[in-house]
Amino acid sequence: MALLEIRNLTVRFGGLTSISELDFDVEAGGVVALIGPNGAGKTTAFNVITGVYAPTEGSVRFEGREIGGAKPFAISQLGIGRTFQNIRLFRGLTAVENVRTALAASHRSGIADVLRPPAWRRRERALAKEARALLEKLGLQRVADAGAGGLPYGEQRLLEIARALATHPRLLLLDEPAAGMNPSEKQGLRELVARLRDEFGLAIVLIEHDVRFVMDLCERVTVLDHGEKIAEGAPEAVRQDARVIEAYLGTSGGAS
Amino acid sequence: MSVRRWIAVAAVASALFALDAFLPRVLNPYYATIVIRIGIAVIAAVSLQLVNGFTGQFSIGHAGFMAVGAYVSAAFSVYVGAGWLEGLLGVLPPAAARAVYFPFALVAGGLAAAVAGLVVGIPALRLRGDYLAIATLGFAEVIRIAILNVDAVGGARGFPLAAHDHPAVDLRFEGFGPVYAVVLVTIVVIARLVYSSGGLSFRAVREDEIAATSIGVPATRVKVEAFVVASFFAGVAGALFSHSEGYVHTNSFSFLRSFELVAFVVLGGLGSITGAVLAAAVLTSAPELLRGLGEWRMILYSLLLIVTMLVRPQGLLGTRELDLSWLRRRLG
Repeated sequence: MALLEIRNLTVRFGGLTSISELDFDVEAGGVVALIGPNGAGKTTAFNVITGVYAPTEGSVRFEGREIGGAKPFAISQLGIGRTFQNIRLFRGLTAVENVRTALAASHRSGIADVLRPPAWRRRERALAKEARALLEKLGLQRVADAGAGGLPYGEQRLLEIARALATHPRLLLLDEPAAGMNPSEKQGLRELVARLRDEFGLAIVLIEHDVRFVMDLCERVTVLDHGEKIAEGAPEAVRQDARVIEAYLGTSGGAS
Repeated sequence: MSVRRWIAVAAVASALFALDAFLPRVLNPYYATIVIRIGIAVIAAVSLQLVNGFTGQFSIGHAGFMAVGAYVSAAFSVYVGAGWLEGLLGVLPPAAARAVYFPFALVAGGLAAAVAGLVVGIPALRLRGDYLAIATLGFAEVIRIAILNVDAVGGARGFPLAAHDHPAVDLRFEGFGPVYAVVLVTIVVIARLVYSSGGLSFRAVREDEIAATSIGVPATRVKVEAFVVASFFAGVAGALFSHSEGYVHTNSFSFLRSFELVAFVVLGGLGSITGAVLAAAVLTSAPELLRGLGEWRMILYSLLLIVTMLVRPQGLLGTRELDLSWLRRRLG
């Protein structure tokens, strides 16, 4: 059984069909790319998996459990983390606070926060330590106490990944993680994704426009166009696929 | 550590008792009333800060929950508490009997307001931004008008805190001690709630609700929690108000009072507890201190608000706190 199993998923907004009869699997520990032109339904797929939208039809199963239509916070607690295309950090908080929020999100304790018994203090110290360790893993220890909103773009992307990792996910969804990064940052990100898979044993789905970026990183690429899956397979094969070339570049005649 | 904490609590308690005994002798009753009103304003402002400043949900109906607390605690004292207090007075010295009774009246007001906060918050907090503001304003007015039509609490005549069955029992509590004890408890509870790892959820919801839910923060629950806690303390503030005045009328809790509380919170800095304290204290005393200016008084008060917002749009303190670490940085 795959970690994530999407079967016959359709998402409609009024008359607009954003995703149509999509089947999509992610195996535990696998790295899969979701590519396609603008408006192909990639981000919508992420939003359905994370509970932002409910599926119109079809099923989304995570570890065998149906999660279609569940609340986003509940899906996060089940073990799916994500980042956003247009970075959504807690800009008014520091980098380390962003991570601590995620570490503490699922078990809040109002009374203990007020009375602050010794156990609370120990947990608070443990959380702070864990948050800093996580930032260090992503090379962000230097900016731990800086305001998240003031960080350079590349570091904001990394911090968003750190925050998602803090929820201890088994599946991580990265929405255009390389967007706006320079070539050396992209190389770093590629190494990071490989490391996350190997060190944390994470399954990763990433949305990407840059086909070269996903080439040596992903074992499998799924191509969406107008909400439909038009190709799936090894990156090299997908790149040669006639329908994929057509979707990205148009037909050779140029008309239509 | 915990021994030191108990010593600190004991020191604060005895300081409050000393103030309670000492202040009325040096302050004339007019100033004494102002000092008490400042305390009540601080409690209401700090609790509203949890909702508006930290959780980012713009509520402009906080006075409605003060009204619930003020009236329920007053009714509790008049119809139930007077009997209890009479019994206590039979076995304890008067000061002790009153000190034992008063917390019950305050908690009754706070709990009633918390329940009202839960009932209002669950539907209202589904709304965002302007819509939430309008809904809270509406609910506050509904609460006020509803109370105005309840005969058991005096209706439009207002409600004096005097029990017919126990005419000898004085239900007025005018001391500084209780008010400032509650001020301290409010500040400590809300500061500790907010400045902890779990409390980061409040600010996460303020910063970005979608991102917050994506990392497992149950945003709706967090918002309702903030609203209920804030309503509780608003209710306690209302209870302190009705019991210090000895009389309560719904006019004290109109939308003007709500707006005033929002002004404290915005002017102090959204997301700063000490800012709310500062603004509540300054803006509660300013109209009184400006009384000498006659009809220019409210014009000057309004100008003070406008100038502050022009000069410091982020509020007096922004999101910072005036605390010990701040002092240390300033002093070297």
